[in-house]
Amino acid sequence: MLPRWARRAAENLPPGPFRASFWRSPLRGPWFTAVLSVALLPGITLMFLTGLASYAAYNPNLAPGNDTTPDKGLLGSWLPGWPAGPSWLYWVNQGMHVTLGLVLIPIVLAKLWSVLPKLFEWPPARSLPHLLERSSLLLLVGGAVFELVTGVMNIQYFYAWPFGFYQAHYYGAWVFMAAFVVHVAFRLPRMVTALRARSLRRELRTPLSATTVEPPDPDHLVSPDPARATISRRGALGMVVAGSLALLGLSVGQTIGGAARSSALLAPRGQDLGKGPEDFQVNKTAVDAGIGPVDDSWRLELKEAASRSPSVSPTGVSLASMSLSRTQLLALPQHTARLPIACVEGWSTGVQTWTGVRLADLAALVGAAPGASLFVESLQRGGGFGSATLSPGQVRAPDALLALRVNGADLSADHGFPARVVVPALPGVHNTKWVTRMTFQPAAAAQP
Amino acid sequence: MRREWAPLLALLASFVVAGYAALRLLAGNPIGIGAWFVGSAVVHDLVLFPLYAGLDTALVMLLRRRPELATMAGVWWLNYLRVPAVVSGLLLLVWSPLTLRVPEAAYHAASGLSAQPFLPRWLAVTAVLFAVSAATLAMRVAMVYHGGFHRHQVFSGRIHRGSTVHHERSRSSARRR
Repeated sequence: MLPRWARRAAENLPPGPFRASFWRSPLRGPWFTAVLSVALLPGITLMFLTGLASYAAYNPNLAPGNDTTPDKGLLGSWLPGWPAGPSWLYWVNQGMHVTLGLVLIPIVLAKLWSVLPKLFEWPPARSLPHLLERSSLLLLVGGAVFELVTGVMNIQYFYAWPFGFYQAHYYGAWVFMAAFVVHVAFRLPRMVTALRARSLRRELRTPLSATTVEPPDPDHLVSPDPARATISRRGALGMVVAGSLALLGLSVGQTIGGAARSSALLAPRGQDLGKGPEDFQVNKTAVDAGIGPVDDSWRLELKEAASRSPSVSPTGVSLASMSLSRTQLLALPQHTARLPIACVEGWSTGVQTWTGVRLADLAALVGAAPGASLFVESLQRGGGFGSATLSPGQVRAPDALLALRVNGADLSADHGFPARVVVPALPGVHNTKWVTRMTFQPAAAAQP
Repeated sequence: MRREWAPLLALLASFVVAGYAALRLLAGNPIGIGAWFVGSAVVHDLVLFPLYAGLDTALVMLLRRRPELATMAGVWWLNYLRVPAVVSGLLLLVWSPLTLRVPEAAYHAASGLSAQPFLPRWLAVTAVLFAVSAATLAMRVAMVYHGGFHRHQVFSGRIHRGSTVHHERSRSSARRR
């Protein structure tokens, strides 16, 4: 039983959307909401899991410098290391995360439409449990829209927020998921009941002329004073599906790459660059990274941080530190690997043919221990991701390269000339370009 | 008693996790991030929704007032306008930053590309959506003229007369009696 003040408030409703008579669509009802929910439940779960995997793919627990959210505490200190393969692992994970996120937007909007009358409940809170439940819904709705907005803006380089993307999107996801899990726990039985109340097949055969309201429901989603339907339920659901398919069809090509790229008409990386060996997508141009012309004086500095007293090879060269010119690197055994580079933003370069020196061979050259990790530094000035630490597994991977050439040509400036890292299944930004220094170190002593 | 407390405990547990994350979320800029978090929901609920629902309601009210405009050869054409408009609007909503070339400099610095193609592409997609919808409507109208459509697939055009909603209500009240 409601307290008297709450009953009185309910009798003196403010005008407009606070009154049930304001909401007249005959389509609103528990079945319609439940159909959208049944799509969102696996969709959102997959978004969270691929998002978590994407964070783990940066190997945040390997070195502080890899961690975009170092104060995460219990929200990720338990994440395992990321494997160096299969080569499509990050490609598929991130393509799914971004493309699925786009596909879910129309469904989220439709779901918000379907429950919007609940926002205007009056009084706003009638008891403490009710207040808590509504606060949780604020986290749910605010979190969902916040995650979609930050994600969609980030893939378009629209950094208009007063905060960093990685922290906001990662911690925002946890706030949202905390609310999402209780929401599902509370409402799952209602969703199942609502879905059972009507047959989907029958609903898909019901034309506009036979479209009527659902029976009154305890949650008051059904309009007490419905207007005549102007679209059938199947028509409204079809419109949501059409929106999702349009977003999917006009963006997934930027993930697949190759001939499919041109189909991604509206996606940021849907522009086909041509047929030349270097004509594939770039994440950061040389100009933007402050890289001037690199000439023959460039040397790769190769170090082994573990050994206290540098051992000496029979030829008298210190094994713990050496510098190699590009010509010397090209004279070392060359390995070719066909790998895609996939960006956190969901697009990929497609598979390219990279040639260079195996990271494992470079490790052997300076006598690094088999379990050593690798700290790679770029010539790049300013901006994020000028360095990255690779795990021992990634250093050992047969296809992990310091690439010097791509598709038979020397690397272009934008692709990282004179040398860049390419590792299977590694997030794009960790495939450091314009490499200047590589330091092998025991995993425990990973550098920031 | 235990049943009543379970949801409350679940909510409190959820707030503990959300609070733990929120402390980290808000750490850098509590006001800025809080404004974006709450603002996201507010902008949807109090700007985006009233905008699209208002436009749609205005259109429907116009057709209710002028029923002779609402159908073409008995075909209710509103949804042939709604579907391409919603899909096109959705594409613009999602891709508006690059389509309107707002983050042009950052986009160029990252990719070496120009954002110039996106607006023409969106316009072209929009034109195709409306063209396909118009062609489908023309086909349906033509089929009605040639008697190829069953009556129930065509909107009857009886906007002011008895609605199916009221039919169902009177039926259920009859059952109650």
